[in-house]
Amino acid sequence: MTVTSAPVRSTPRQAPQAAPRNMARLLWVELRHNAMPLVLPLIAVIFWFDSYRIAATLPPLWNTRLYYILGQGHALLDFAPFVAGVAAWMGSRDTRRGTGDLVTATVRPRWEAQLATWAATVIWAVGAYLVFVAVTLVLLGRPDVWGGLPWWSVAADGVGVAAFASAGFALGASFPGRFITPIAAFAGFFAMGISSQIGFSASGGWALILPTMSTGNFGQDAGIFYQFLPDLPMARVMFLAGIAVTAVGLLGLPVSAGGPRLRRSAAAVTVTGAAAVVAAVALAFTAQVGPYGTVIPALHDAASDRPVPYTPVCGNAGIPVCLQPAYRPYLSDVTTALRPVISQVTGLPGAPVRASQSAAIFATGAALKGLGQIPALGGSPPVLSLPLGAISLPDSFGQDSPSFISQLKVEFVHALVVSGGATYGNPAQQAVEAVLLQNAGIPLAAQPHAIPWPISSGPRQTATYPQPIAAAAQRLAAMPATTRRAWLAAHLPALRAGRLTLGQLP
Amino acid sequence: MTVAGVHQSAPGATPAPVTGQARGWLRLAWLYLVSRRVPAAVALLAGFGALLWVALRWHWSVAGGAAAQMVIPLVTEAGAAAVIAVTTYGPFGEPERATGRWLPYLRLGAAVALTAAAIGALAIGSTGGVLPGGFAAMARNVAGITGVGLLCAAVLGGMLAWTGPMAYLVLTESALAGRVSTPWVWPGRPPLDRGGAICAYLVFAAGLALVTMRGVRESVRDTAT
Repeated sequence: MTVTSAPVRSTPRQAPQAAPRNMARLLWVELRHNAMPLVLPLIAVIFWFDSYRIAATLPPLWNTRLYYILGQGHALLDFAPFVAGVAAWMGSRDTRRGTGDLVTATVRPRWEAQLATWAATVIWAVGAYLVFVAVTLVLLGRPDVWGGLPWWSVAADGVGVAAFASAGFALGASFPGRFITPIAAFAGFFAMGISSQIGFSASGGWALILPTMSTGNFGQDAGIFYQFLPDLPMARVMFLAGIAVTAVGLLGLPVSAGGPRLRRSAAAVTVTGAAAVVAAVALAFTAQVGPYGTVIPALHDAASDRPVPYTPVCGNAGIPVCLQPAYRPYLSDVTTALRPVISQVTGLPGAPVRASQSAAIFATGAALKGLGQIPALGGSPPVLSLPLGAISLPDSFGQDSPSFISQLKVEFVHALVVSGGATYGNPAQQAVEAVLLQNAGIPLAAQPHAIPWPISSGPRQTATYPQPIAAAAQRLAAMPATTRRAWLAAHLPALRAGRLTLGQLP
Repeated sequence: MTVAGVHQSAPGATPAPVTGQARGWLRLAWLYLVSRRVPAAVALLAGFGALLWVALRWHWSVAGGAAAQMVIPLVTEAGAAAVIAVTTYGPFGEPERATGRWLPYLRLGAAVALTAAAIGALAIGSTGGVLPGGFAAMARNVAGITGVGLLCAAVLGGMLAWTGPMAYLVLTESALAGRVSTPWVWPGRPPLDRGGAICAYLVFAAGLALVTMRGVRESVRDTAT
């Protein structure tokens, strides 16, 4: 009998069941022998120093505390270079050790074995990210932090970690060698640096897909007055997952990766990943900044636009002042800021009868210019709306309590004297504002340069008032309070409408 | 009698010719450099110089404060330092240490030469535009971050040495954003600041000394993972 005459044996029945079990065993081996745990302590230190340490000093609002970590992508920046470098090391392992030919000749296809190593690397990296973020959220949430959490942004950065790990792994497998680890780490940091550059300077378009881009989608009053819109983070998940899938698929394309069927599967995976990347970028192009954040029509759920209900907390500044309870720590600062201005104008025509916090919104279109960005007077009887979320709160971004109070005084006086609030105001309005602010505790000499101003352009950027405005303000300030009040009672509506000139001031 | 006790040639033995000795030295140095992949490292350093040139030529910068403005130059400096740190890994381990009596000099020479090459490459790259801080700051930063890498190589092993420069880069960016002004964050100090220079060159000297005298750590993981 020869081998050619021997009957063909049928495939053992248990083979299909054994394959997944073997794959699981291989994954377990790779998990135990993975290099990623070696750098996790280092990442933990960096994550603490770069992300948690700064966030812990910010006001107790999730959208503020997580602005740096998730909005500007620092959580991903802390992970990206290191997971990319270590993943490159794992990807280059077989070739680096000279065992590439050996493992290629084994019964298991090369791509399948690489998938086990890749999966173990990604599991370590993403698992560590989730643990670090969970611990950070627990620590930052003590004792009480207000607002909803941007879960989709957490997910997007997690997928970002997977994308950097996958790209690093593919680099390592494709260009094995000792230098591929620092090169992959360098590329990871460089990519995040360039992403930050584009994220800071761009205002929309494809750049919205970058995980460091916070413009128009993170901050303001998201999570407090309204929910974090998930549209853009969903597109980012698609984009970053597409990068990860493409990187993994590319590994299966070479002839050595496996048989034709396997390579066809790898090609399909690669095309699917690339399609996801392209689709995500295309979705970003369709994005528009709405009042509550960036809206992508194809992904938008109208339920996300529902405002978050709340019971306001109120104080007294001569008129009732009511805030969203998340802003309770700043109620005393707000009443302190409003009281000296209210005391000068209470009872005058157009003066507010109460102040109420409004949502700071994202949209900056012509129709919404100023609204939701700076305080404004509206309604009958007049109500002062205060979008505090658009102002840097005390202990955030270099702001302190006195500056916060000064800024509120300036913005309130501006809303009172200039109708609409979003324009700079004519010289007569500026002179009256200067007097009201002086009587509210900000000396004329300290204006206008020393106080924060809500409108970014205009002559307020100069160190002192122009001489005619300063002279008119000094004349008004020298008047007795009752005379000035009587003049304001008679002329405030005309002044607000911009119909008075500097020469018509007393 | 064994060779273990022999410290000099037998009387009457023919001395090695001077030219042969020099050739032997050159060969030894070349073999050492090749075993550390120094030629590839030099090519990469040239690549970092080219990248810096392109970045300065086309004004790549990150909008923001001092930390953001320094990202591109600093990341190229850290990348160069990471490459230098990784060259310290040797594939021969114990046999090389037991037989290579000139090994400390070779380690020292290679590290110093590569650092000089990195500074030279980045100096050429800086002709593409205005480098923040100028040559003095760049040389100080490269030396200091390379020192971090060499210390990391001595502690963690050559293959993980790149983590030191990368970690220093991330921590420095964060510290600069938080306006930390300690001289240990030397990239944030003025170019001719004495404190920053002392710290940077001290770290470089410490890294050089450790790598020269002790070599890099032979991590079990270098071969096990």
